[in-house]
Amino acid sequence: MKLIIGNKNYSSWSFRPWIAMKVLGIPFEEILIPFGTPLGNPDFRTQLAAYTPVGLVPVLVDGDTHVWETLAIMEYLSDKFPDKSVWPADMKLRAQARVLSSEMHAGFGALRTECPVNFRRPVRTRELSAAAQANVRRVDAMWSECRGKHGGPFLFGKFCAADAMYAPMVARLNIYGQKVSREALGYMDAMMALPAWAEWRAAALKETWIVPEDEVDWPTVLTA
Amino acid sequence: MKLVIGNRNYSSWSFRPWIAMKVAGMAFEEEVISLYVDGSREKILKHSPAGKVPILIDGETHVWESLAILEYLAERFPEAGLWPADQGARAHARAISTEMHGGFAALREECGMSFWRPPAKRDLSDAAKANVARVQEIWTNARAKYGAGAPFLFGKFSAADAMYAPIVQRFVAYDIDVSAPVEIYMQAMTGMPAWQEWRRAALRETWVIPKFEHDWPEVKRLPAEAA
Repeated sequence: MKLIIGNKNYSSWSFRPWIAMKVLGIPFEEILIPFGTPLGNPDFRTQLAAYTPVGLVPVLVDGDTHVWETLAIMEYLSDKFPDKSVWPADMKLRAQARVLSSEMHAGFGALRTECPVNFRRPVRTRELSAAAQANVRRVDAMWSECRGKHGGPFLFGKFCAADAMYAPMVARLNIYGQKVSREALGYMDAMMALPAWAEWRAAALKETWIVPEDEVDWPTVLTA
Repeated sequence: MKLVIGNRNYSSWSFRPWIAMKVAGMAFEEEVISLYVDGSREKILKHSPAGKVPILIDGETHVWESLAILEYLAERFPEAGLWPADQGARAHARAISTEMHGGFAALREECGMSFWRPPAKRDLSDAAKANVARVQEIWTNARAKYGAGAPFLFGKFSAADAMYAPIVQRFVAYDIDVSAPVEIYMQAMTGMPAWQEWRRAALRETWVIPKFEHDWPEVKRLPAEAA
């Protein structure tokens, strides 16, 4: 099984299935294709086409099956590896985990635009629009409620696909220095303490490709 | 089991789980909330902290977000075969359903779903035109690969068809030019008894949401008898 991903420093969508598979112990081969930007990789499309007809990352390639869209990848992994508990075992909790994951998948537009994932950027507070602040509050409430109900350290107790879906959000709130509740902070600490998190971050920090539209301080590129 | 939905004429998200449940023959009650009027938000918040319809209520379990509702129903009623039985086909169905869930923003913005709008063309932006092309490609590829001569995306009606149902209606209402295979797919969808049932109820609705009416203050609508 191959997981095709973009730059680790910037690709929030790639981070999700990657961290899910690492934490849940699903073996895979990683193929990283840096994004095609003015300062990046002009051959992105051609290189990607060698692995998959799907023109987006991440893509999971399992034999003849090519799965795109992060949530669909999670469902495929859940189908294929029922013993890995990709979703919570309890049906009610599983429904809630999928609700939160869907909410993440299509939501929080303002926060995502204003706070692009950029592991290289040193932690520095950014002033956000009212819409993005409302997103931060909703995420905080959601995390706090889950941890309160299910006891933590992750959203539904044990790490599951919903945590993977929110992993980039943890990175965003951390990198852009957003104030969150103590409960939400506890969740962020648990996520950032995962060995898989450290592995991804270390690789991200070694990358040298620059994507200007994800550098909020452009033309300055802040590095930790 | 109860499904809380918004206006049938406009609420594309509500249409998805509703038609999936009807076609699969699942029994459920409906609660229709008139959207964007005084008190509608409070009514929705009673069922879900996210403040959005549709919401599926099954005993103590409240599920919102259309895709999560479809996954819940697929688990709860495995015999309904809401997703294709083959693992590869199922993965494909979920990929295109997810692409629908988060995508096609320009098309959705410029061509709001409406059942009572008399079909008429509208100038589309390049982004919306690209969305139209991608949707047609998705439908054509799925039917070619998995449709096996049957009209739906994966042969038999599945959750993926339910996810794309509102796009079919947008193509109808905005008289979008489509290829012959896409036309066949759209006819199969709009010809279903469940589709007709929703449409009849939509045409009878009297709640008008000004921001979704392109010709506001004029409201162009097909007569209820058109259904």
